[in-house]
Amino acid sequence: MASLFNAQSMLDQPSYSFAQPTSHSEPRQHSFYPYTDNGGSTLGISGQDFAILAGDTRSTSGYNINTRYAPKLFKIGGDGPNNTGSKIVLSVVGFAADGRALKERLDTVVKMYKYQHGKDISVGACAQRLSHILYSKRFFPYYVTAILGGIDEEGKGALYSYDPVGSYEREQCRAAGAASSLIMPFLDNQVNLKNQYDASQPQGFGKEPLKPQPLSRPHVESLVNDAFTSAVERHIEVGDGLQMMIITKDGIEETYAPLKKD
Amino acid sequence: MPGFDFSNHNRNIALHAKGVPLPKATSTGTTIVGALYDGGVVIAADTRATSGPIVADKNCEKLHYISPQIWCAGAGTAADTEFTTAIISSNLELHSLSTGRKPRVVTVMTMLKQHLFRYQGHIGAYLVVAGCDPTGAHLFTVHAHGSTDKLPYVTMGSGSLAAMSVFETQWKPNLSRDDAVKLCADAIEAGIWNDLGSGSNVDVCVITPEKTTLLRNFKTPNTREKKQRDYKFKRGTTAVLNEKVITKEQISKYVTVHDIGDGKAGVGEKMDVDTQPSAPS
Amino acid sequence: MDALVAQYSRPAHQEGFADEDQQQLTADIQPPLSLKFALPPIASSQQWLRAMTDDNSNPNCPIKIAHGTTTLAFRFKGGIIVATDSRATAGNWIASQTVKKVIEINSCLLGTMAGGAADCQYWLAYLGMQCRLHELRHKRRITVCAASKILANLVYSYKGMGLSMGTMCAGVTPSEGPALYYIDSDGTRLAGNLFCVGSGQTFAYGVLDAQYNYDLSDEDALELGRRSILAATHRDAFSGGFINLYHVKEDGWVKHGFTDTNGVFWDTKLNKGEFSNVTANLD
Repeated sequence: MASLFNAQSMLDQPSYSFAQPTSHSEPRQHSFYPYTDNGGSTLGISGQDFAILAGDTRSTSGYNINTRYAPKLFKIGGDGPNNTGSKIVLSVVGFAADGRALKERLDTVVKMYKYQHGKDISVGACAQRLSHILYSKRFFPYYVTAILGGIDEEGKGALYSYDPVGSYEREQCRAAGAASSLIMPFLDNQVNLKNQYDASQPQGFGKEPLKPQPLSRPHVESLVNDAFTSAVERHIEVGDGLQMMIITKDGIEETYAPLKKD
Repeated sequence: MPGFDFSNHNRNIALHAKGVPLPKATSTGTTIVGALYDGGVVIAADTRATSGPIVADKNCEKLHYISPQIWCAGAGTAADTEFTTAIISSNLELHSLSTGRKPRVVTVMTMLKQHLFRYQGHIGAYLVVAGCDPTGAHLFTVHAHGSTDKLPYVTMGSGSLAAMSVFETQWKPNLSRDDAVKLCADAIEAGIWNDLGSGSNVDVCVITPEKTTLLRNFKTPNTREKKQRDYKFKRGTTAVLNEKVITKEQISKYVTVHDIGDGKAGVGEKMDVDTQPSAPS
Repeated sequence: MDALVAQYSRPAHQEGFADEDQQQLTADIQPPLSLKFALPPIASSQQWLRAMTDDNSNPNCPIKIAHGTTTLAFRFKGGIIVATDSRATAGNWIASQTVKKVIEINSCLLGTMAGGAADCQYWLAYLGMQCRLHELRHKRRITVCAASKILANLVYSYKGMGLSMGTMCAGVTPSEGPALYYIDSDGTRLAGNLFCVGSGQTFAYGVLDAQYNYDLSDEDALELGRRSILAATHRDAFSGGFINLYHVKEDGWVKHGFTDTNGVFWDTKLNKGEFSNVTANLD
């Protein structure tokens, strides 16, 4: 695992071979490949009494744009097909069809929970349930990275991030999808203040790292905007529109802003 | 020895067979077009260079000089288009010096196809060749394997379908200069919007028997909006374990130091970076 | 009339599951923590899964599952020390620096996480459930021996399916005293005094074996756990982040912090004079 070219991979074959890669003429079984990467990126940041999820609205395959408006953010629970009154948001990137299927399944579960128990599901419970849904396809995974946002039972912003097979963790911020490697370092630096030290102290070994403080809503919104406008500049699969959902104790506010379309 | 060095070929194949990925060359996605009009020829290109899904250069030049009246738009591997056009350009100069005639577009096309055919497509250069010579205005495409085409309007690169759809609906014979420029720019824009491999700005080059006009950044429909926050760090934010200052006197023991400009800080090559419109330049 | 209706009708959530339609609806959605898994509709599902998710043999695989770890646990006279790093990697990408790799199965049992993060999280949660059921059925706490065996038998039944986990179960029970077991997805189950698991295990063993002694004091044992993880995070690129320290005692486990390795490293270097190979001198 340590590197592509480690000692082991050299030893498990007769030391060196100049064999040509398998010739193209011999018949080859076409492998089962049920996934497409639809590109795009999402991110989430949680604050003191709110959580923000955002995603671009471009859907791609290869060098083509399938559509310029395909939401990656979904309201979960609430009433009826429009999820009125819901306070949980799921964002999914990766393979859009798997993302839809996952959203559909979680939404059903959350609505059934309310039907059976007569109360709204907590974000913590919903997060765990989502993990189990993802893990139920451990051997045929959903090709998605999910982020779940809401308000926890103490009224604080809650954000959970997932891997494709359901390992999950509560975090302050998370970027996922095509441009995650561009956005996540920015978030680490600006939200968790990584690699920033107290400028008033003298240089040397004793310099204190800056302590992350809860960010205000306008601050977080401007960070999200800058993260996406920058990702659009350098990643070809990100663009067209920015969908944002802000979850507070009063419900979900949804906003849309245009992004560059090239 | 002229030509290419193949000594690592076998090693690289052995490595590749073991799963070591090949190093990525910049840019395969591009939109380039060309169109003949009454009295000349126009070529145009987008300005995005990519490395996989990452934009490597937001404003690169894909229109290459061959001779004063012959220019070339390149798609495919960035380094290959750059170098093949440069090689052909210099050979053409020698050729025209020895014959004492103005170079012809067909000559360029033939030299390119012979060069590319020899390397069986391994030189990934896809080119649109255009220019004016004593025989008139000409427009060709040259593919990496060596095949060529001669047409009144052409498109190439990953955005060629988007661009061609514009040509096929809007092109007509006997275009005026301005109409031809607009048509080519529109075709490139179709590529910029609809092909992920193409983006940023439109470069246009108009060639007439009299003169060549390079319209660099003819259209800039993708300027970046202002960032909402200021990301300037306070001095001292980055922790430094130790520092050492190397003076000009010390370094001049090993290399010759020349002062450029008026000796003030910040002279030298200006870099094109995202800047907030604050400092007057 | 309304009063009469109200007397004989209840809201849906109080009615139980008698209604057949409703039963069908709930049956469609799998219960949480089930043992039913969807499989791809092809014959060679295992090879397929490997092709899709094994970033070791195919660095370009489409689904990268979080991996990479250093975890350790050792028995000593004061109980058991459990320590881990907190880094999760997906290929060469650091997916997270804040993973909780010690899983609190219950107040007296700890599990550690190495290999697939989801596999460990899910199956240790499942183990927690089984342990609680055992407690309710037999009116006493499960032994670490039995708990580890539930897990070992479980992963053995999935052998070859592609699970990836190397876990340790640590706990103190009245019948066993402090007990430590190593279980991995091959089906191995070992009892022992000292284990290190994960990509940084060799580095942790190096420090741990050199300093380990059963009669260590509580403070020294905690320091040894911390120092071993620090050594691993220093030399293994796939380990890092925070040091997660636990001490398991007779009356349950105690948490001893989630500390940034950066601070611990500089403290170790500057105040204890170790890591003298790391230098900031520019000459």
